[in-house]
Amino acid sequence: MRKKHAHIKFILPGFLFYTCFVVLPIIYVFGLSFVEWSGMGPMKFSGLDNFIKVFTAQNFAPIFFHALGNNVKYLLCVWLIITPIQYLLAYLFFIKIPAHRYLRFMVFMPYVISSTIVSFFATLIFNPIFGFLNKFLEGIGLEQLQGAWFGDPKWAFKLMVMLIIWQGAGSGIMIFYSNFMDISKDVMEACRIDGCTEWQRFTRILIPLSLPSCASIITMSSIWALALFDLPFILGGRNGGVSGSLDFANLVFYRYTFGNALSGRSELGFGAAICVIMFIFMMTVTVIQRKILKKFEYDT
Amino acid sequence: MGKERLKKRFRERNTEILSPSAKIVRWIFSIVLLLYTSITIFVIGITVMDSMKSKGDLVTNFVGLPKAWTLENYVKVLTEENLLRYAANSVFLVVVGTLGCLFLGALTAYGISRFEFRGKGFIVAYFLIGMMVPIQVSVLPLFLILRTIGLLNNLLGLALVYVSGISMGCFIFQKFFQTIPMAMEESARMDGAGDFKIFFRIIVPLCKPVIMTVALITAIGQWNDFYMPMVLLGKRSTYTLTLIIYQYIGQFTKHMGESMAAVIITLIPIIVLYFLFSSQIVEGISGGAVKG
Repeated sequence: MRKKHAHIKFILPGFLFYTCFVVLPIIYVFGLSFVEWSGMGPMKFSGLDNFIKVFTAQNFAPIFFHALGNNVKYLLCVWLIITPIQYLLAYLFFIKIPAHRYLRFMVFMPYVISSTIVSFFATLIFNPIFGFLNKFLEGIGLEQLQGAWFGDPKWAFKLMVMLIIWQGAGSGIMIFYSNFMDISKDVMEACRIDGCTEWQRFTRILIPLSLPSCASIITMSSIWALALFDLPFILGGRNGGVSGSLDFANLVFYRYTFGNALSGRSELGFGAAICVIMFIFMMTVTVIQRKILKKFEYDT
Repeated sequence: MGKERLKKRFRERNTEILSPSAKIVRWIFSIVLLLYTSITIFVIGITVMDSMKSKGDLVTNFVGLPKAWTLENYVKVLTEENLLRYAANSVFLVVVGTLGCLFLGALTAYGISRFEFRGKGFIVAYFLIGMMVPIQVSVLPLFLILRTIGLLNNLLGLALVYVSGISMGCFIFQKFFQTIPMAMEESARMDGAGDFKIFFRIIVPLCKPVIMTVALITAIGQWNDFYMPMVLLGKRSTYTLTLIIYQYIGQFTKHMGESMAAVIITLIPIIVLYFLFSSQIVEGISGGAVKG
């Protein structure tokens, strides 16, 4: 009864839009990375020059690698601090600690608040002159603890991670939580009857059964960790905060592509090369991670 | 009957018998979390109160209740600072972006999940690319493409980009369509209904909840977006609310009251949506994750 190729008329419109504005740009950026072009006039093919410049240019390479280092530092925070916190909170909600409904509602709420507003709130709290925190410390007589917060390279990065936890942890918590809820009731019942302790249930049942979902969350949050932009940009300014403490690869890209920081004019080919390097870096991290996480997966 | 159910519920609640120490640990965790979540209330509450203070009151009395409640900040941002115009820009982007994204996403997902064809696996993977590659990688080409077709610094251009971001919606819709039995469509087809008629008359009404979920997360994401508007909307008349707030952060000390009011105006729609539909939003976020 069914006509052949009936699927095409459903897929085609979406396919066209998606190809033009999502896939084509990704291919285009690879092409751009091999040319020298200021955005106007003719393009000049320059082979690998842009990439060589990224790695060797005196006035660029140190800044870029410092920023990339910050990205890696943040990535480690995601793996070692943020994800475990998310997992723990999901578990607490799963075992229904007191007031868990209200807490779930409130913990997730900042996730729907825009990063600009989150930064605005951060300014209210941490601004050295009128921020609540310094005022509060003054009020209780602990002036020596007052700080410049985001203006202090020692604090800026830590505070940003805290802000990200406050704003963004909700999604991971909810994904972990919904995976805990998917675990069959029979298994839980059986382990209760067999008299296993809460700790045993946590380590022997919940962790192994939720590992596959952990793998995908960690992969996604790693990709986003390497693409971090909004909060450091708004809080630290486009130059990456005090002594580069909030400088990330994406900020460098933005500065050098749209802000003419390299030689006074915009060099789009150079910007594209930064993008390609970031992309390759992301893919490498993702692939390595997949390989490592696969080893931990249980055979089911 | 009712008694039975009550008993059952009682039993379910008491499946876990907790030792006193385990109970205490749980209470400690929940008190810590209560304190932690009160930060959110505190910050939003202060902003609401500060937005209703007069200028002099705000400088001397930053934290605390206003001496006299006033709406002058709101009046000022809405009239002098033209906030309505930027709000209209944001609303336009979200409405066009979300509706277009829903329409294309659902259509594509239906085509993929309901028909058998060669290269299906490739198409499924192809539409996932958008979820795996962050927008920052493709923003420069997007900038150039929009400039070429003359839609840079134009709301329509950014709306096009939003409409094309169907990966997430397409993925969620596919998962949902797989749960609808084929039988209904088969019988409709017997009665001579065409493919599109089946889609709009039978499938769309069935997936109202999932449409709602995808619509919510797409709309919230677009309303909150900062990076794309910043790069692609360079002209002040096309600014969105998030860009205006970004500007206010830069000159906060000059326009304290106004910036508070602008933040609250931007925040209200999102918070209202969250209070009304928090479970659907959460479902969308956790459903959009690639599981396994």
